[in-house]
Amino acid sequence: MITGQGITKTFRQRGSVLAGREVKALRGVDFAIKKGGAASFIGESGSGKTTLGRIIAGLESHDAGEITIDGTPMSSLRPKQRQPYFRRIQLIHQDPYSALNPTRTVHQTLNAPLDLRAKGTGRSRSWVEGRAEELLELVGLDPGYVLPRYPHQLSGGMRQRVVIARALTVDPEMLVADEAVSMIDVSLRLGILALLKDLRERLGVSVLFITHDVATARYIGEDGELYVIYRGQVVERGHVETIISDPVHPYTQSLLSAIPVLRGLEQPGEEPVVPTEALDEGNHDAGCLFARRCPFRTGRCESEHPVLGHAEGTSQEHACFHPRRRSVVAMPAGRA
Amino acid sequence: MFLFPTKKAPAPEREASSPERTSLPERSERSERSERSGRPEELGGPERSGRSEQPGGPERSGRPAEVSPPGEPEKAFPGKKAPGVRVSGLSVVYRTPAGELPAVRGIDLELVPGTITGVVGESGSGKSTLALSLLNAVQPPGRISAGSVEIDGLGDVVRLGGDALRKARGRHIGYVFQAAQNSLNPLKTVGKQLLDLGRSHEVDDLRELVRDAKELLGRMGMDGARVLDSHQHELSGGMRQRVGIMLALVLNAHLVVLDEPTTALDMITQATILRIIREVHEERGLTTLVITHDLGVVAEVADRLAVMYGGRVVEQGPTMEVLGAPRHPYTQGLIRAIPRLVGDIGEARALPGRPPTLGTIPARGCVFRERCHLRMAVCETEEPPAISRGEWIVACHAVAAEAEAEGGRRRVAAGTQGSAKAHGAKGEQG
Repeated sequence: MITGQGITKTFRQRGSVLAGREVKALRGVDFAIKKGGAASFIGESGSGKTTLGRIIAGLESHDAGEITIDGTPMSSLRPKQRQPYFRRIQLIHQDPYSALNPTRTVHQTLNAPLDLRAKGTGRSRSWVEGRAEELLELVGLDPGYVLPRYPHQLSGGMRQRVVIARALTVDPEMLVADEAVSMIDVSLRLGILALLKDLRERLGVSVLFITHDVATARYIGEDGELYVIYRGQVVERGHVETIISDPVHPYTQSLLSAIPVLRGLEQPGEEPVVPTEALDEGNHDAGCLFARRCPFRTGRCESEHPVLGHAEGTSQEHACFHPRRRSVVAMPAGRA
Repeated sequence: MFLFPTKKAPAPEREASSPERTSLPERSERSERSERSGRPEELGGPERSGRSEQPGGPERSGRPAEVSPPGEPEKAFPGKKAPGVRVSGLSVVYRTPAGELPAVRGIDLELVPGTITGVVGESGSGKSTLALSLLNAVQPPGRISAGSVEIDGLGDVVRLGGDALRKARGRHIGYVFQAAQNSLNPLKTVGKQLLDLGRSHEVDDLRELVRDAKELLGRMGMDGARVLDSHQHELSGGMRQRVGIMLALVLNAHLVVLDEPTTALDMITQATILRIIREVHEERGLTTLVITHDLGVVAEVADRLAVMYGGRVVEQGPTMEVLGAPRHPYTQGLIRAIPRLVGDIGEARALPGRPPTLGTIPARGCVFRERCHLRMAVCETEEPPAISRGEWIVACHAVAAEAEAEGGRRRVAAGTQGSAKAHGAKGEQG
């Protein structure tokens, strides 16, 4: 179980021109990911979702708030003591082309961490070899074919599977997949998503999925939690299927409305929401953060700050003064 | 800037960088260049006079006239000239240590004036190579080995070269590169690059060019003056993409090629760019080609759709019809493989196998057979025939066999009405 309370992160620009300019990447985010559970962070680029993923994986510091892993608050530990905790959270990058060392074969890539473990636990050389093959089979690759090969000899989908196999060498508790399928060929994306889902079910690994494409978040598991993040704040949160079928926050609705409709197969939702302007990186922090782009804003939105909370008649949490269900998602043609 | 495609020509093998091997291609590259440079001289005279017959020809240094060229059918955009494009038998090969390998083979594709055509394909399908062929801009070690690209008012681009080709790019054909940030000069403001573009195309009135650019940027929802004063790093991904579209259109090109216009943009920005593409296309009366790996993008903007696989067009036709009832097994699989917001998650599945690379495209037979569930013996050896139903063309043996069986049934039924009991009922229905 990994929880976060009030995670805050501000980047301060250095250098002569932009010195002192602050970017509030995260503004007090709470989350909880159960053991073997699944969660997705969705939002535009610049929403802070990747920063949050990196903080959870222990690759980035945060300014305020607390990360608790299995009941142990990380702030109570010295950096060295945190290591074994964060080692069990493995990050899978967007780009499988740059995540693997091009001068190492898959065999070398997988054996390095396994050797370390073997040394630490007194296991034999044959355990290392056997485990490497086992892991490749687990991620759907043929060890005989893949092991002697270099990354450039593999397709994008195969490389991403190797990256996942490498993450599994340390028996992680959680995989943080940051846009893990966006560079994979369309025909193979579902294969990677299915693999992550399969690992959850078979190994009990929890999965944190970070993406700008809401549709892919569904494939991690129906029980998954969805966090919609906007400018460093969670604006809507709940079960994946609930949020997709009944979003109430206009920002969530904008994200869902923006997903292309497969004309001929589907017809667009009846009330698509289009933001009134593009994401402005300026610091307009008064009131609701989305107010400037929201087609439904009122005076209250510009002065008061909405807090994430439950509302009547909805099962999810949202941070909006005027939540309303809108049918924004495309429906299969002839069934709307 | 239109001379520098950002996408690297697929370097098929790593070994190509070894000195021994590069020396060989270079030599043949030189001979190819001299062969090419000969062509425009041959063509120069007749081509130039041919062009001056076109309205807009004499004023090529000014604004092209807004008149339909003679002989071009009047389309839905009176006063504007959306050119038609006919790609026939186009093949592009890349020179590799293993010999010349076809990245694109025998493509027939027509861009109807005034329409948006979407070409969709995975990595290695040859879609970007096809797009570059429209500008005759395939870079060595690639070359167009066969076929023609006929563009109204321009002739066969494959036979153009030198200055004629340079001027055609930008004036007639606008190209928006994948990842616009890589096609913009990081050291110059957008405005300076715009002026460079104007000068290299001998625009007389640069003020007017700037005015047009501002108007276009304003049309796309940006502050034109501010954008022209900006360097590319000051612009967001979506803004750079719009700058790319502006630079492609500002010389009044009426044929626009967009290569992966929304890749690396997030959903809301993508939706905005797609809307802009659609609107600008209609307002300016363009013929547009959108190259993408994302079927959703094609579904949003394109009137017609062509699906590429392993260097071939395997299915093409009106978008709505093809998406509604895809006939080629690859198109069917691709649609099923898209993560969707609604519907049963269990129905979606990835296509088995993986897309072929330049080196693994089968030389004979159907390119998709390795991943196809309808694979037959004939797929190994014979090129799939193109089966057309109106504008809808499918290249597949299984579809052909089905069409034949259907046609056969119909023929039998028609020929032996009443007597052939087995087919009688079907004949009456038909």
